[in-house]
Formats: sequence, C-alpha cells, structure tokens
Amino acid sequence: MRFWRVIEPYIGFLLQGFALTIAACLLAIAGAVLLGALTASMRSSGNRLVRGAANAYGDVFRNVPFLVQLFFFFYGLPELGIYIGAFETGVIAMSIAGGAFVSDVILSGILTVDAGVIDAAKVSGLSRVKIFTRVVLPIALRVSVRPMGSVLINLVLTSSILSTITVNELTGAAKIVAATTFKPFEVYAVLLVLYASLTTLLSFAISAVHRRLNRFMTGG
Amino acid sequence: MIVAENVEKRFGDALVLKRVNLRVEPGEVVTILGASGSGKSTLIRCINGLEALTGGRITVDGHDVSTKAGLVAARRASATVFQLFNLYPHMTALGNITLAPIEVLKLPKAEAEARARALLDKVGLGAQADAYPQQLSGGQRQRVGICRALAMQPRYLLLDEVTSALDPEMTGDVLRILAELAADGTTMVFVTHEIEFARHISSRIVFLEQGELIVDLPTAAFFAEDGGLAVPRIRQFLSKMKKD
Amino acid sequence: MRYADFTPYDIVLLLQGLGVTLALFIGTTLIGLTIGLLLAVVHHYRVPGCRPVIVLVTEALKNSPVLVQLFLVFFGIPAFLHIRMTPVEAATLTISLNTAAFAFVVFRSGIESVDRDQIEAAEVFGLGRSQILRLVIAPQAAAFSVGPLVGILVNQLQVTSLISVIGVFDLTKIGNILNLRTLQPFIVWAVIGLIYYLAAKTLAHAGGRIEAALRRSVKWGGI
Repeated sequence: MRFWRVIEPYIGFLLQGFALTIAACLLAIAGAVLLGALTASMRSSGNRLVRGAANAYGDVFRNVPFLVQLFFFFYGLPELGIYIGAFETGVIAMSIAGGAFVSDVILSGILTVDAGVIDAAKVSGLSRVKIFTRVVLPIALRVSVRPMGSVLINLVLTSSILSTITVNELTGAAKIVAATTFKPFEVYAVLLVLYASLTTLLSFAISAVHRRLNRFMTGG
Repeated sequence: MIVAENVEKRFGDALVLKRVNLRVEPGEVVTILGASGSGKSTLIRCINGLEALTGGRITVDGHDVSTKAGLVAARRASATVFQLFNLYPHMTALGNITLAPIEVLKLPKAEAEARARALLDKVGLGAQADAYPQQLSGGQRQRVGICRALAMQPRYLLLDEVTSALDPEMTGDVLRILAELAADGTTMVFVTHEIEFARHISSRIVFLEQGELIVDLPTAAFFAEDGGLAVPRIRQFLSKMKKD
Repeated sequence: MRYADFTPYDIVLLLQGLGVTLALFIGTTLIGLTIGLLLAVVHHYRVPGCRPVIVLVTEALKNSPVLVQLFLVFFGIPAFLHIRMTPVEAATLTISLNTAAFAFVVFRSGIESVDRDQIEAAEVFGLGRSQILRLVIAPQAAAFSVGPLVGILVNQLQVTSLISVIGVFDLTKIGNILNLRTLQPFIVWAVIGLIYYLAAKTLAHAGGRIEAALRRSVKWGGI
C-alpha cells in the first residue's frame, strides 16, 4: 500500500514524535489539573478579589487562540530572562490553557456533591481536609471523568500546535517527513487518521472508566 | 448531658428558634414534636453544630458547640441519623460505617470492620455489607445510616425525622431497631411524626410551636388530659396527626 | 532602533489582519453551517449509504487537529492532484469543512430533539415531508441549536488563527510580522490576544441575544 511505503522508513522517527506528544499531553494534563483545582478553589472563595482573579484567568485563556497564547510565552519569556526549551514552553502554555477548562469541570463536580452528604461527614467529626479528600473529591472526580476526558482529548489535538514553535512532536515530525519525502498527502493523511484513532480510543477508555467508577452512583 | 439555654436561631429576618431551653440527661429518650416548620430539625442541627446559633448557648457534656474545640468534642459525643440518610454514595455500606471510626477514632481497619459487621448483623443487613447505597432500599439505607451513627459509640443519638422518607413497612423495621436501642438505655433526641411510637419509647416529650418550646413534660403527663392535652394547640396537633 | 518602533501604520496592519480573520471566519461559517445543515437533513432522511460516510468523515474532522487538516489540504491535496491552491483557498476549504462537522452534530441533535409525537401528529394532519421539516422541525431545532452553535463559532473564531501557519495574512500573521519587526513580543501578543478576546466576547454576546429572541418566538408559537 502506497501510504505504508511512504511512511515505513520513518516509523522510528515518527514514534519519537509520538512519544513527545504523549509526554507533553501527560505533563500538561497534570499541570492543568493542578492549576484547575487551585483556580476552582479560588473561584469558590469568599474573597471577591480572589474570585475575580480566578474568573478572569478562565475567561481570558478560553477566549484567546492557543496559538497566540503560545507565541506570547514562546517569544515573551526570553524577554523576561526566562530561557527554557520550546517543549517546556509548550507544556506550560498547554497547562495554563487546559487549567482554565479544568477549573470549570472541577467546580461543577464539587457543586454536584449533595449538601446532606457533607453534613453527615461533618457531624461524624471528620476534619475539613478529610471531608474534602475522602468524601467531596472522590464524588466530584467520579462525575468529572467525562468532561475531564474531553479536556484531555482537546489537549491531544492542541499539542499539534507545538509544532509551530519548533517542537518535533508527532505533527512536527510529520512535517519533516513530508518535506523529506515530497509526499505530503500520504504523510498528512496517515497523520490525520492516527490522531483521530488516538482520540477515539481515548474517548472509549474515558467512557469505560466513567462506567466503572459510577457503577453504583446515582445517574451513573 | 445536652443543655440548650435560651437558644435563638435566625435565618435572615425569620426567627426560627426563640429562647429555647432543653436538658437531656444520659439515659433519657426525648422526643421533639411540632408541626412542619416549627423548628424541630433546626434545633437538632444546632445541637450537632450544622447551624450556628444567633443567640444562647448549647453544651454537650459541658462542651460549648459554638467554640471550635467544643464542637469537636460535642460531635465526638453525639451522632446523627438524617431524614434522607445522607450516605456516602461512593462507598459500600461497610465503607460508610467504618470511615469515621478509622479516620476520627483511629481504630485499626480490621477492628472497625468487625464492629461494623456486628452492627449490620444486628439490624439484619449482614449480607449487604458490600452493597452500595444505590443498591439498597430506603429502609435498608436508613438502617445503614443508624449503624454509621452507632459505630461512633456516641453517648447521644440525634435522630432527625429518620422515618419520614420511608414506606410504612420499612418504617416498622427502623422503629423496631430504635426501640431496641432505647431499651438498651441509649440516650436519644428524637424528632418525629410517629406519635404512637414516641409515646411508646420516650421518657419525655417537648413541643415546639413556631420556634418556641411551649411544653416539656414526662411522656405520661404529656398525653394526660390535665397535662399536655389541656393545651389546645397540642390537642389540635395530636388529633390532626391521628387523622393523617 | 530601526526595527524596534511601532508606527501609526501598524494600526492599519492590525485592522487589515482583523479584516482577513473576520472575512474568513464569516465566509467559512456561512459555508460550514450550510453544509452541516445539509448533512443533518440527509442524515435525518436516511438517504441510503450516506449515514456511515457522514458520521465517519465528521468524526474524523472533529477528532483530528485542525493544523493537520490544514497541512493535508494545503500541502497534500495540491501535490496529490497536481493542482494549485492558494493559502486562502486551503484555509477556506478546511475551516468550512471543520465547522460543518461540528455544526452537523448540533443540527442532528436539534432535529432529534423534536418529539416523534409531534412529527406523527403533523403527518396525521396531512402535512408533507418538506412541510414538516420547514414548519415543525426547523423552528424548534433552530431554537435548540443556537446555544451550542454559538459555543462552536466562538471556538472556530479562535481556530482561524491557525491559518497563519500556512501563510494567510490574518490577525495572527500580522502579529508574527510585528513581533519580528519590533521585538516586543509582550505588547504585540497581548494586543493581538485582546483583539481576539473582544471579538469572541462580541460574538458570544450577539449569539446570546439571538438565542433569547429565538426562544421567545418558539414559546409564542407554542401557545
């Protein structure tokens, strides 16, 4: 098959790019969850200034194109005297953009926890920290699996944009292969199918995790 | 001993509890009666610290629930069973019962589970230890709720309309368990609409009317013609309840 | 210092870039919504053999990066078919199809949201297929679809920034030019970001008003 003939010599190279994509996405989702959790707690804070800052962060980073955000960090950070690699810059930008979405997911997850259940935990003498870690968070995370999965899938798609700042993740590697082989159609067609398969597989996995975790929960 | 002195609770403009005084001695079963909205559940929620007082004082074994340390001690001494069960939906019956004993009482897991299983056996749910709340009927859930409270070995059991959300037959199961507990000498503060049952197990009955505690009598006196029944509001309330 | 300074002419540049971005956004939105609607109607009438193809293609478009789609169209198709394609043509084709894929899903569930009962009732009254589509399904599906569509379009507006990568002189490309010339990345990208932000907010606001108006009209129609 012609597609395979074009790609075959570069499989190793493309796999390296794929590994970089996976690494970027895993680091970014971790960063996004951390930032998102922090932002969600800030958004539920009693202090108006804190709440306003957190809301503004979510609003701005959801309404500005990721490419523009990426350029802002990629060209801007060195101006501040911060010299980090393109990959690191990309991961930071993805974490910040992803965090804006994750904070929404976590906040609505926390809001679904029944107030009565929290009352029960309070009167049983559990500390605030224990109530959060043993009761609120586990319930919130269960209802958040699907929306969190969508954020992860979006990060996978977004990671292709890192190729514009010289990161040779999967798309970046494919660009090089397309330029070397002069077969852009074959290379990009395969690439498109690869991404679509990867994200489809991911969404199946997310659905499975959701069903597994919500077996015995209301509305699960 | 639970002592409420001049307890006042406001929600905005609404005065829900007005200068309520109540004492519950160890070994007593005190039932709080009153129409819907009379402040019964709010009184329970003030005793376990879920609502902050806007006036007066509540102490449990001398611990003032309005102070941080006092509340911790008061909650250690009491346990609450809720109208809508409020079980942790992500945990099995066993998990629901053992969470606080392990995290708060610091019991070893095996011991907490052994205690939980014994309690489940006692309420006839020995086979349901690994079931999630969603897999249980309302009556079974409430029995788990009672076990969860008892697992903390509380000196005082606070029961907030625990049968209101149940079918009549399930209500019977739950009331039988509560009767056994009363017979064992468990101290209870009991908010209910089950008049006959209250008459059967209570040592004292208090009546709340629009946030005011208007009658506090031993059970026999409460139902006597020259006692509680002499109060027109109570006669009216009781006859209405009988009709329902 | 020859390169470093901003000039008043830069404002013209920014406006030009914004113009290209908006023109392309509006054009692709019109094409995309039309195609998405056609696909949804074809899907609704179960035209033989069309359903799996429509679903497969729209899913592939929704589940792959737009950047890769742009590369496939701009670099791949001309090389494969030996034709010429300008960046604007490639961008228009790609973003239109991408918008169509997302719009299809919205329109499809909009149509599905109309009760079977209502459609059957309309059939009983002797309405024809196209009358049912126009008079019964369309108004309700439209009211149901506007909210999600606004969300999609706000997102697609941001997606258009990617066309700068294949050489379209849109707002982001102007940002690149100014960035290289002035070497003031913070100011340049903050300004570019602000313009996108304001455009997105305006779009979301307008969409909200249209949605409210449509919902009102459907409610009235229901009485």
